[in-house]
Amino acid sequence: MKRFLNGILTLLKEIGDENAYQRHLHAHNLEHSPEEWRRFADERMRGKYARAKCC
Amino acid sequence: MKIVWKLVWMAVAFLAALSLAKIATERGEPVNSIWLVLAAAGTYAIGFRFYARFIAAKVMALDDQRATPAERLRNGHDFEPTNKWIVFGHHFAAIAGPGPLVGPTLAAQFGYLPGTLWIILGAVLGGAVQDFVILFCSMRRDGKSLGQMAREEIGKVGGVTALLTVLLIMIILLAVIALVVVNALKDSPWGTFTIAATMPIAVFMGLYLRYWRPGKVLECSVIGFLLVLASIFGGQWVAHSATFAPMFTLTGVTLAIAIIIYGVLASALPVWLLLAPRDYLSTFVKLGVVILLAVGILFVRPDLQLPPITKFVDGTGPIFAGKIFPFCFITIACGAISGFHALISSGTTPKMIAREWHAWPIGYGSMALESFVAIMALIAACALEPGVFFAVNSPAGAVGATPDAAVATISSWGYPVNTAQMESLAADVGERSLFYRTGGAPSLALGMAHIFASTGGGRAILGFWYHFAIMFEALFILTIIDAGTRVGRFMLQDLLGHVYEPLGRTSWMPSVILTSAAIVLAWGYFLYQGVIDPLGGINSLWPLFGIANQLLASIALCVATTILIKMHRARYMWITVGPLIWLLIVTFTASYQKIFSDQPRIGFLAQAEQLEAALASGKVAAAQVAATNTQIFNARLDAVLCAIFVVLVTLILVDSVRIWAGVLRGVRDARLNETPFVPTQLRAEEI
Repeated sequence: MKRFLNGILTLLKEIGDENAYQRHLHAHNLEHSPEEWRRFADERMRGKYARAKCC
Repeated sequence: MKIVWKLVWMAVAFLAALSLAKIATERGEPVNSIWLVLAAAGTYAIGFRFYARFIAAKVMALDDQRATPAERLRNGHDFEPTNKWIVFGHHFAAIAGPGPLVGPTLAAQFGYLPGTLWIILGAVLGGAVQDFVILFCSMRRDGKSLGQMAREEIGKVGGVTALLTVLLIMIILLAVIALVVVNALKDSPWGTFTIAATMPIAVFMGLYLRYWRPGKVLECSVIGFLLVLASIFGGQWVAHSATFAPMFTLTGVTLAIAIIIYGVLASALPVWLLLAPRDYLSTFVKLGVVILLAVGILFVRPDLQLPPITKFVDGTGPIFAGKIFPFCFITIACGAISGFHALISSGTTPKMIAREWHAWPIGYGSMALESFVAIMALIAACALEPGVFFAVNSPAGAVGATPDAAVATISSWGYPVNTAQMESLAADVGERSLFYRTGGAPSLALGMAHIFASTGGGRAILGFWYHFAIMFEALFILTIIDAGTRVGRFMLQDLLGHVYEPLGRTSWMPSVILTSAAIVLAWGYFLYQGVIDPLGGINSLWPLFGIANQLLASIALCVATTILIKMHRARYMWITVGPLIWLLIVTFTASYQKIFSDQPRIGFLAQAEQLEAALASGKVAAAQVAATNTQIFNARLDAVLCAIFVVLVTLILVDSVRIWAGVLRGVRDARLNETPFVPTQLRAEEI
């Protein structure tokens, strides 16, 4: 059950880009900061919203 | 396979076959919805385990030793090897839109049987295969898009045609889903207030995420969700307020103008302020509601009130005109086979897959799940009494301009309903009237509300659930409108950049404003056209969208077949050629009928001629002459657009067949644009 709930939480964090942000911090050896989140979010959204959303 | 598993699969197959037989042969008695659930789930399971596995192993020869783009191009952003169930959820959330909810609801006018069979078989043999094969093709090409693959594997004509087709489809898609929202909110102060409130809530969430609690997406979404729930209760108060109710009671035209203005603003505002926070919220709500609906249906197990087949299979249906063939297969696109999915399967998903075999559950399984959502929407719609279903979904032009005339017409079809019953239902859900609420969303919301309320609370909370369902549908439709307008703008800039270079720059403000306005005006025009259409707009626009979407699927299947042939898998090309031939027959027949049918309710040209004749004979009142001229122009415009779709797809088809013939005869190079094999270095614990 705990594993299942963890899986759900991970999925929600993936959809919410929180996991991607953690990977970004880890890959570039960075610390979380408001400026870093804004930089990350801008770049991610640029790519994300250049693609069609499904009907 | 062990004997135990053989027995299990035989039992699943038997149960699915029994359920299909039950729903196909039952006459007279209402069928319980659990049979649909069992038929669908069993068929998906068999399709997934045997057909999809055969495609994975024999046709595509998936190889877990081969490094995927997620591993080779890992950058921590788009390219990242991810757990397969996470990618599954992500992909499902991306492909599931309003289509599988609205299409089956509209197609229920033929009864529950045609839609059910098409949704199940279409997905197992067509839609899921398309999604799976395109996902595989993109995964073997560094996550390239459908357009890029069309250009590389078929040729330049294919690439440009695919881009143009997607742009045109998007314009029709945005118009038709905006029309669904307009029809759901027309004269509904409760619904209009709730949806209007989601905008400041999204802006609040945007600011919260940007400045107050950067990076806390889940936390922010929970707050946003609670605020949206509060706005539903607020909407109830507004609807009963003598001061505020009139402010939020809007006509279809006013709502259309509001959505058009909103489209321009949303396209120009920074993404983080409105689009992104609402996208997060709508995705979470979407997943939650899908799970809630599944649990509700399993708990309540409603009987289907609509008959298996209605008299409207002859083409005289009030919701949209046209016979069961081809229009049932056009009306239900998403849920059975949707070309738009090919854009997602060649978008983010192939960049996240860690092992090639993960594409099996992600590509095929996600589509099967979406198809299941379509079945649930069909159940929700068919659980309504037929008289109520038709009263809500039929336009005044088809059933009569007054409620008394409408109930008399609908009752004469053998689906009894009366005005007192409709008034009582409207009062229960907090609406002034439920007549002429075309578009599918209100009847779906009504069906969902009945299911949710039956789990506890009863009639007392029917209004809350109805508006919750309307909010849920409108929330992600508006997100699609925001994102679609933006993507349409990028595509248009891409095309215009070849004419004048600065127009192609996404950072050049004059180009941004010009192209945003062009895209919004394009879909806004079709939206306005739908709102003023006496037949409710859905009759013209939804089939046009269905045709366009299925034609996009045809393009995807052309690309997939080309790649299979180049992979020397021609003996298996039937897996994509089969659905392709079916789609071409359906879409070309539907297009021909929509353009040339001599029945004005079906054929655009016949409709224009009928209106012209009425004008010429002086039957049109002076005040209506301008509107009639607009309708004549719109009917011809729809005919031209439909013809353009067919020409574009014919171009790609001819180009593809030329390549297939060349490769099969050995006179053309079968060079694949696949990335070379690189062995994986990923350890099991990394995924």
